[in-house]
Amino acid sequence: MSTTAVAIGVGHSWSVSLAICIRGLQRLRARPVILIPTVVMPIFFVISFTGAFSSLTKIEGYGTSNIFNWMAPYAALQGAVFAGVGGAMSAADDIENGFFDRLLLTPGSRLPILIGTTGYSGVRSIIPTTCVLGVAALGGLELPGGVIGLVSLYVATAGLSVVFCLIGLTIAYRLRSLRSMMIVQVIGFSSMFLSVGQVPIDFLEGWLHDAARLNPLTNVLRLARQGFVGEMSWDLTWPGLVAIALMALFTGASAFRALMKLAP
Amino acid sequence: MTASSVSRVMAIGSQTWELTRRSVVSEKRQFLSVLPGLIFPLLLAAVYTKQFGRVLDMPGFPEVDSFLDFILPACIVQAVTFGATAAGSELALDIENGFLERLLVSPVARAPILFGRLAGAAVVASVKATVILAVFLIFGVEVAGGPAAMFVLVVVAALLVLFIGAMAQVMAFRTGSQEAVGATFPLIFVSIFMSSAFFPTNLMSGWFKVVAENNPLSWVINPVRRLVINEWSSADALQALGLPTALAMMTISAAVIALNRRLAIL
Amino acid sequence: MTAVIEATGLIRRFGEIIAVDGVDLSVDKGEIFGFLGPNGAGKSTVVRMLTTLLHPTSGSARVGGCDVMTQAGDIRKMIGVALQDAAIDPLMTGSELIRLQAVLHGIPRSVIRTRGPELLERVGLTGAIDRRVGTYSGGMRRRLDLALSLVHEPQILFLDEPTTGLDPTSRQALWQEVRRLNAELGTTVFLTTQYLEEADQLAGRVAIIDHGKLVREGTPTALKGTVGAPTLRVEVDLESVALARTVMRGFGGERPSREGRVAIGLDEGAARVADVVRALDTAGVTVIHLELDAPSLDDVFADATGRRLEGSGDEQ
Repeated sequence: MSTTAVAIGVGHSWSVSLAICIRGLQRLRARPVILIPTVVMPIFFVISFTGAFSSLTKIEGYGTSNIFNWMAPYAALQGAVFAGVGGAMSAADDIENGFFDRLLLTPGSRLPILIGTTGYSGVRSIIPTTCVLGVAALGGLELPGGVIGLVSLYVATAGLSVVFCLIGLTIAYRLRSLRSMMIVQVIGFSSMFLSVGQVPIDFLEGWLHDAARLNPLTNVLRLARQGFVGEMSWDLTWPGLVAIALMALFTGASAFRALMKLAP
Repeated sequence: MTASSVSRVMAIGSQTWELTRRSVVSEKRQFLSVLPGLIFPLLLAAVYTKQFGRVLDMPGFPEVDSFLDFILPACIVQAVTFGATAAGSELALDIENGFLERLLVSPVARAPILFGRLAGAAVVASVKATVILAVFLIFGVEVAGGPAAMFVLVVVAALLVLFIGAMAQVMAFRTGSQEAVGATFPLIFVSIFMSSAFFPTNLMSGWFKVVAENNPLSWVINPVRRLVINEWSSADALQALGLPTALAMMTISAAVIALNRRLAIL
Repeated sequence: MTAVIEATGLIRRFGEIIAVDGVDLSVDKGEIFGFLGPNGAGKSTVVRMLTTLLHPTSGSARVGGCDVMTQAGDIRKMIGVALQDAAIDPLMTGSELIRLQAVLHGIPRSVIRTRGPELLERVGLTGAIDRRVGTYSGGMRRRLDLALSLVHEPQILFLDEPTTGLDPTSRQALWQEVRRLNAELGTTVFLTTQYLEEADQLAGRVAIIDHGKLVREGTPTALKGTVGAPTLRVEVDLESVALARTVMRGFGGERPSREGRVAIGLDEGAARVADVVRALDTAGVTVIHLELDAPSLDDVFADATGRRLEGSGDEQ
């Protein structure tokens, strides 16, 4: 019997993760229309929020005189939520049509399945982020924080995309249905709302002020936005990174638990 | 009116009632799917009220006690437009799976096929609008125009749903595809944001201001809002009701024509 | 012979429903084992348990000597699986899928570079590798699925309804390939099917499952033997009919037949045909034509369950 000696280990896990991530991108290349909701919604957000609320900049203490500087990172992060949920959606789709079994029949750890899918979501978030930046640039977006500001936006959007992909996967693995992803979409959209998306924290009153202070997404928004509204500062950077790391750890653990329950 | 035409009208009436009841009941069954249409607009209103407190002092912003007063019409419009295309997408589903053909060859009068769904949607919209109004009143909103203004608010919501629902039905006849009809919802969502619903147009600028000022939705929302925050005015009531009535009549006629065309080729 | 697939008292419940109700199985190395049953009989559930995708509610199973519960990882290295409905991504190309499958099973890039084209050639897909799977026909998808399940050269191959929905030509081609794999590489094949002909054609041994329980097991010939004697019809000269009848009655009860022919139920099965012919020859009867109608697996199924298998024969 000629069974090829199969290398199972860390190297194998890594290449499986990568292969699953690449598969997602191959699918995108094959059918780019999958991306439309992920791209159209954040573009719509940046246009309508900057349009409807342009006069906010005239209020004292708003933090920037250019509405695009404030709203573009917010719209990009909303796009990242969509991108993350979209990645989980492709996994839910795999579960529904049976492709997922192929992945489950892989020897070795289940972790690469999770890492590959979230990695794909993170990479995918680059597209809406870039589109939002492009549209905002037409409206006069500025970047006082320079290249590092840009990088921190991309880090924040990719991180948030990973987090929402993991939340989506937790639900997809448990409910095994594509429709359940609507729930995650709503969670993501709403939790972005309970933060400093449209106005600075000092503008928020009462319970919303408390909610935004406790909302880890507030830190992520600050990380993403700082390079567009001013100089870069470590004080605004590390809380965002920590928030992303902790959320990813927590949601990752719950997604992995759900996966192990689905496929022992 | 002859006896036969009277009984004919009565038959249409009772069949419309029957189909209305059924579509309301089915919506009741899908209570969970109606819920987001209530919760999301209320959440939006709550968040905007708490984040736009400072906006009230801006020169040019209408005089209100709270942003909540300002956003009431927008919240209701947003709530009722969730699911407003259902009257069309259900029709498209019936076309897709052949149920419509079966209905058309049955002795059921034709018009109730359309009117039943639309009336059902309008009833649901009125209920949603009333619920939201009640929530706003609980949270201290005072409608300056009084009960008459509240009534106008609810009727406008129903009329808007008739307009959108009939438009979706026309789409259903044109495309015969549920997906295509469903795709119109984001357009409605977008058009609400690109109107005076969430912010006064006089505080906007550039091309967006032009779009928002010329968005028919603004022409409906502005008079409704004046009824809420200023005082009762028959002129405002007339404007608030007139435009959606005209629009609804237009799309309902178009839907009837589309149905007849469908019958002609059958 | 050593058993490479063994199941004892396998039970799987889904809530109230008992999908698999105490299945015992043993498949030897190098066998083609046919698992036959109607839709919803529990075939796929058994396969999912044997391939480590589903835990049994109770009972145990070993595949390749490893326990499905505790040594799932080792089993996955040994088995190739082509699941029902060909779980293949329509947006990917054949070669992309082959490469993905190779990575999943830890096959080095250098190996797959030669093995990939070989496999695709083996299943006759060489010309289509760079096309999206969405453009493939049903038969091509199944063949690709088979190629994918062979990427890591598994010792044991699970094929879950590999030809459901295929046209007769594609079905024949797939059977051919399964036979060749079994003959050339000694691959053990566990095949589920709802087609009697498929089980009959391919499998050395067959188990019939109905409502989650095994109702028959054995070689197709032996199983058919259990439902009664095959019918032997002999056509002879008109003047020899009486003599032929006398001779043949010694081998089984007479069955109705046309004029100029004699038919009997051959008591001890097809093996006695030669004896009948010899006896006729000895008696001086010239045989013009001879046919043997064997009982089919459908008869076996009907005997075991009291029902005929839907879609038996062709599904048109």
